[in-house]
Amino acid sequence: MNHPTMPKPSDRMLLIDGIPPTLIGYWNELLSFHEVLRMLVRRDLIVRFRQTYFGLAWLLFKPLMLMAVMSFAFGFLAGFDKNHSAPYPLVIFCGVIPWYFFSNAVPDSMNSLLNHIHIIQKTYFPRAIFPIAAVAVDAIEFFVAWMLFALGCLWFGYLPGWQIVFFPLFCLQLLFLCTALGLWLSVINVQFRDIGNLVPFLLTIGFFISPAGYTSMRIPDQWQLLYALNPLVGIIEGLRWSLLNGMDGFPQTPVILSLSITLAIGLIAVKHFLATEADLVDLA
Amino acid sequence: MSRVVVDIANLSKRYSLSHQHRPDSLKAWLRSLARRAASGKQPVDEEFWALRDVSLQIRQGECLALVGKNGSGKSTLLKILSRIIPPTSGHIKVSGRIASMLEVGTGFHPELTGRENVFLNGAMLGCPERKLRGRLDAIVDFSGVERFLDTPVKHYSSGMYVRLAYSIAAHVDADILVIDEVLAVGDSDFQERCILSIESLRQRGTTILFVSHNTDLVRRLATHVATLTQGRLDGGVLPGVARHESREPTHQ
Repeated sequence: MNHPTMPKPSDRMLLIDGIPPTLIGYWNELLSFHEVLRMLVRRDLIVRFRQTYFGLAWLLFKPLMLMAVMSFAFGFLAGFDKNHSAPYPLVIFCGVIPWYFFSNAVPDSMNSLLNHIHIIQKTYFPRAIFPIAAVAVDAIEFFVAWMLFALGCLWFGYLPGWQIVFFPLFCLQLLFLCTALGLWLSVINVQFRDIGNLVPFLLTIGFFISPAGYTSMRIPDQWQLLYALNPLVGIIEGLRWSLLNGMDGFPQTPVILSLSITLAIGLIAVKHFLATEADLVDLA
Repeated sequence: MSRVVVDIANLSKRYSLSHQHRPDSLKAWLRSLARRAASGKQPVDEEFWALRDVSLQIRQGECLALVGKNGSGKSTLLKILSRIIPPTSGHIKVSGRIASMLEVGTGFHPELTGRENVFLNGAMLGCPERKLRGRLDAIVDFSGVERFLDTPVKHYSSGMYVRLAYSIAAHVDADILVIDEVLAVGDSDFQERCILSIESLRQRGTTILFVSHNTDLVRRLATHVATLTQGRLDGGVLPGVARHESREPTHQ
């Protein structure tokens, strides 16, 4: 009797029938594979900075350069730096950092499924992990950049007001928006690779119709509503409001519009993702 | 009899050969929409059944070999079981955790070291990091890449790569291990060790499902053999030659 007794198989039951999962079922599935998410984020960070001389310093270097160039272009050259209650580089920083994050996270997560199709064809874990991980990696840069903002405040001797308690909420909305767009675009990108060309182009335009290098104060009144249909307008102006002592007053209309559009995109994205996920390999 | 851990019922998988249901660009999709609108009827589809009405049951501790010619649907079945593609109809009920090895070293990243890849690949196979830390010695031991554990795998020889990959899958404690033709790789020495490790996994109650064209391997490993012919399992499951020495589970 030297045979070890057989362990009882774990009680996990799985039914494979090709019917799309429910949101709750999928959420539980995601939680059970959260380690993969952590590993992918770690992998991307390691790969991004391995064999680089400056390593993690790149995380600080990029936002600093961006802020310097933008302040020069929009402040000094275009002369937008008048009539601001806060130092202009800080005003710019509040716009450029979320924009930079958005313009990286959306294409990164959009391409994440296609870039990992060789893994998707050979092993299973919830595919949403790829676009989420892509956003998470960029989000780390995003949060490091805000630490630079804190240093900038010290430098200029500037103190944010009570509105700062709303700062995390606007960040959360931006994260949600990027993830939603990433989920949605990534499945479309597997089937219709046209959007791989379209999105970077739209982002180039997006920079100019978002208040990244300027404030939305510059937009003529009759265009404000149309302008605010861009969900980034509400988020960026909300961030400015929360960090810069309620700068130009609370941007009520853009924030409400932006929240509604973000939620709508989230709903469509999740629905589309759940319906398509199982077929990804057949569609690719 | 031990309990059924994989229950495949009337499983079918259909592919359509025409591209009209599967447009690969926006243009093709729009064109097919226009054509459908103009003719007012669904396009006639040529279809291909990669699997047709396959039913089979696998009990705990069995080692089932799926055999058949190229294109007979073996890999399709493993892919459905591994949740990579959905079935067209029918279903599979699985109890326990599946780890699939359809390819050697899926998810290995060339820039990561062997050690980093162990944790990444292990997580993809559903094994938490905490558990892998405890297994690391055994994994490294079995693979024999000890000296190169902290070298990026892009510098590995293909043999080392394969050994490490197999070693991870063998140590993640899956209830069901799915292996597609990957035992054909590696030198004969390593193949021998793989066979022994599969034997011992099976005796500890792991259920194994593998595809192989190697009749020798099938003879040595399989307690059961299922032959697929053009997507059908007409002959059912036959007992294999390997001694079925697994024991009944002790739970009541």
